[in-house]
Amino acid sequence: MDYLYESLISAVTLIFNLDIDVRSAVWTSLYTSSTAIFFASLFGIPTGLWLGLSRFRGRRILVTLLNTLMALPTVVVGLLLFGLLSRQGPLGSWGLLFTPLAMILGQMVLATPIVANLVLAAVTGADRRILPTLLTLGASPLQTVVQLLKEIRFGVMAAIIAGFGRVIAEVGVAMMLGGNIRGVTRTMTTAIALETSKGEFAFGLSLGIILLAVALMVNLGLNFVQQR
Amino acid sequence: MEPIYRLKNIECRLGENFSLKVHQLEIDKHEIHVVSGPNGAGKSTLLRVLALLLKPQQGSFFYSGQPIDPSASNHLSLRRKMTLVEQFPYLIQGDVFSNLAFGLKNRRISRAEQVHRITETLSIVGLDDFSQRSIKELSGGEVQRVALARALVLQPEVLLLDEPTANIDHDSLAGFEQILHSLVKNGMTVIMSTHDPAQAVRLGRNMVRVEGGKVLEA
Repeated sequence: MDYLYESLISAVTLIFNLDIDVRSAVWTSLYTSSTAIFFASLFGIPTGLWLGLSRFRGRRILVTLLNTLMALPTVVVGLLLFGLLSRQGPLGSWGLLFTPLAMILGQMVLATPIVANLVLAAVTGADRRILPTLLTLGASPLQTVVQLLKEIRFGVMAAIIAGFGRVIAEVGVAMMLGGNIRGVTRTMTTAIALETSKGEFAFGLSLGIILLAVALMVNLGLNFVQQR
Repeated sequence: MEPIYRLKNIECRLGENFSLKVHQLEIDKHEIHVVSGPNGAGKSTLLRVLALLLKPQQGSFFYSGQPIDPSASNHLSLRRKMTLVEQFPYLIQGDVFSNLAFGLKNRRISRAEQVHRITETLSIVGLDDFSQRSIKELSGGEVQRVALARALVLQPEVLLLDEPTANIDHDSLAGFEQILHSLVKNGMTVIMSTHDPAQAVRLGRNMVRVEGGKVLEA
């Protein structure tokens, strides 16, 4: 018990002393995850809207595929992208492996199906009167989509937050594509894994506390927006 | 005078179990037309076909003498000439003003004109001070009035109303029917459904009877 208590005190001290390694891991995590979720939303939201609003042959297959992609193991994504980005791989000449950009790419692959699927669920679960109402009020196709997005905005926000939660907490992609390089690609999760294995439990705990705080703040932000 | 709507041999199938068939239907301009029939007969479906919200699988459809392919997807300019108020209307999230402004913004009406028209229209439906009221604070009858105002503010050629008096109390009925008469006097065509035979008789020199998915008479 003393061990846990002392580790907790050390972890809190590390946070309040703004330890440089802690700061760097937090910044890398936030930067890569935010960029990844931004681009995942750019692709995922239109995909979810398109699948939710259109009816065509093969739609069910696409939806099933998207559902499957939601459960993609992070190490599998890491492995595939590692193959593509490594020196012998087809994209090896780009020199992206073990850079934050490679991590962003991997996290984007993880988050896009989540965002798309949850936006699709928001569209299909939306009030069925919305579309005819917008059309009868003379909305063009673009005006219809924009207003529909406003009407289902909480579903869309939940989709983005779920995607963010997935990528900020993952280890596989960050480890395999980032390489856990100190000060460059070391994220909170990879640092926790490494430092704990080295016996630096307090350091891992300090990052764990920050990770939880980030999740809490994101959810508080969502609640605040929902209540307005 | 050319009828505003002319439908011939229209069939609109909704799923496996229901289809609306219109052998022939002509609707004259600048009059009130009452669509009557029992619940589930197809009154709402007919109104949605007329509002170009449902696509019939076959038949010919003319609007003001112009042939229209109702199965085509883009009828934006035509849709902007008509507005349907549903029996259970959906109000856009926000306040009453934003609901009334939505269609006007779509048509790129200036902000000053929006405010002028909205104020005037809210007064017509008896909701003078409701502009900033959140839609969450409205009663069922007020929702219906806002939906009516949202349609009227667009000054459409054709106003389609699906059971518009379902949530309006008896005392307000005469006022509502008076509004319809004044709209028609100003050149609008009103097509409304009702399952109240007394109201159908009161309003309807022009009756359209729908039963079992078939438009029986025009």
